[in-house]
Amino acid sequence: MLYIDDEQNNLVSFKASFRFDYNVFIANNTEEAVSILRQNPDISVILSDQKMPDKTGVEFFEEIRQEFPNPVRILITGYADIESVISAINRGHVFRYIKKPWSEEDIRSSIDQAHKFYITTALLAIKNDELQKAYNELDKFAYSATHDMRGPILSVLGIIDLSKNTEDVGEIKSMLDMMENAMMKLDNYIQNLHDYYSIRRGEVEIEDIHFPDLAKEVCDIYEVTSKMNNVRFTNTVTQTEGFRSDDVSLKIILNNLLSNAFKYQQKGKDECFVELTIEVLKGAAVITVKDNGIGIPENSINQIFNMFYRATNEEVGSGFGLYNVKDALGKLSGKIEVASKHGEGTTFTVTIPSK
Amino acid sequence: MSALLNFIVVDDSKLDCFIAEKIIKNTGRSESVNTFQQATDALVYIKTLAPTTTPSIVFVDIQMPVMNGFEFVEAFEALPENIRQGYSIYMLSSSINENDIAKVKGYQSVKQFLNKPLTNNAITVVLNQHS
Repeated sequence: MLYIDDEQNNLVSFKASFRFDYNVFIANNTEEAVSILRQNPDISVILSDQKMPDKTGVEFFEEIRQEFPNPVRILITGYADIESVISAINRGHVFRYIKKPWSEEDIRSSIDQAHKFYITTALLAIKNDELQKAYNELDKFAYSATHDMRGPILSVLGIIDLSKNTEDVGEIKSMLDMMENAMMKLDNYIQNLHDYYSIRRGEVEIEDIHFPDLAKEVCDIYEVTSKMNNVRFTNTVTQTEGFRSDDVSLKIILNNLLSNAFKYQQKGKDECFVELTIEVLKGAAVITVKDNGIGIPENSINQIFNMFYRATNEEVGSGFGLYNVKDALGKLSGKIEVASKHGEGTTFTVTIPSK
Repeated sequence: MSALLNFIVVDDSKLDCFIAEKIIKNTGRSESVNTFQQATDALVYIKTLAPTTTPSIVFVDIQMPVMNGFEFVEAFEALPENIRQGYSIYMLSSSINENDIAKVKGYQSVKQFLNKPLTNNAITVVLNQHS
């Protein structure tokens, strides 16, 4: 807290009384007070004397309101008429009013309440921010859901309309394939949506993780993709110590990174590969997924974790995958790094601490 | 017999490009149909195309990665007048977002907003404006 008074004696005795309980800053003029406030943004309570030579306490409070809206203000004054009380409240946004000579008890209870008020207000601001963020996401989500869910349905409706005027069986068959693709895309989107909600709403269930089993379970699917698309797939798992984490979140992370690595390969290139390594060391798991695929353009790299962001339309994607990865990592207190060169490949490195 | 037209389709969905191409060809009004899955490619195509007296109809999807439909129209409107003339743009989307639909009205070069999918009926209405 900060105490402003033009009388040096008051400052000294104030500091002496409260320095053990609070972190006390003192200033004997308002200019000094402002410079202290600028240097110490976490000051939560300001006490000011009303009667000072350069300006009144109320004027000072009114003046700093713009730059420092958060600290709670307490006015100390020797005489109090109703006018000055009104102006203190209306103009200075004063929280408490203390009459001189102050008693230690008065000050203490005022400061404690002011601090409580400050904390509550700060928490409210944080909650508001979170709510705003959730709303924004919901808006984005509702917008994108209409596109990503209606899109494939409308495509299929279009093909149905078209096929009504098509006699050629071969052509109708190729239309069926297209409809199948559209439905697979929709299904993929819905599965991602499910992942999104299991991360968002689901509680994290911490259990012992045995990475060789987990990796095998996830990789079995990609072994097939690897053979079909002629992409060399290697996975190396080293785990010599216990690891505790959430199984579902880990699978979402691995699945999304691997699926991207296989999806964004360079067409027609020889020696395509995807490498997965998992190493558990000193209470942390480091997962790397490396490929020599199309890479990520430099100007998109900061946006790839944003919801619905897509850096390319080379392949079918929902713009959900990496967002889900980041969300899941948030729950596990993990972090992710990406190194990529457009046209050469991408490496994602995930570090997750054991819980 | 109505005059022939050039058609350009811009849609990140391969499938929707295919549908549009088929529907357009079925009308018998197309001199050419070019489809693009990237709006940037379509723009390059328009810029480098030799001048022609045949009017062009452009169908462009709104939600696309990299360059979306609105960005495409803005880039198009920034092109010199002698390139832009002869083009009629129609925006096509699965969007039921009112903001999107309202935004379409703000672009001078956009003739109309159309709902997906492009059907025989919808394209007949469009072509009647160009007969």
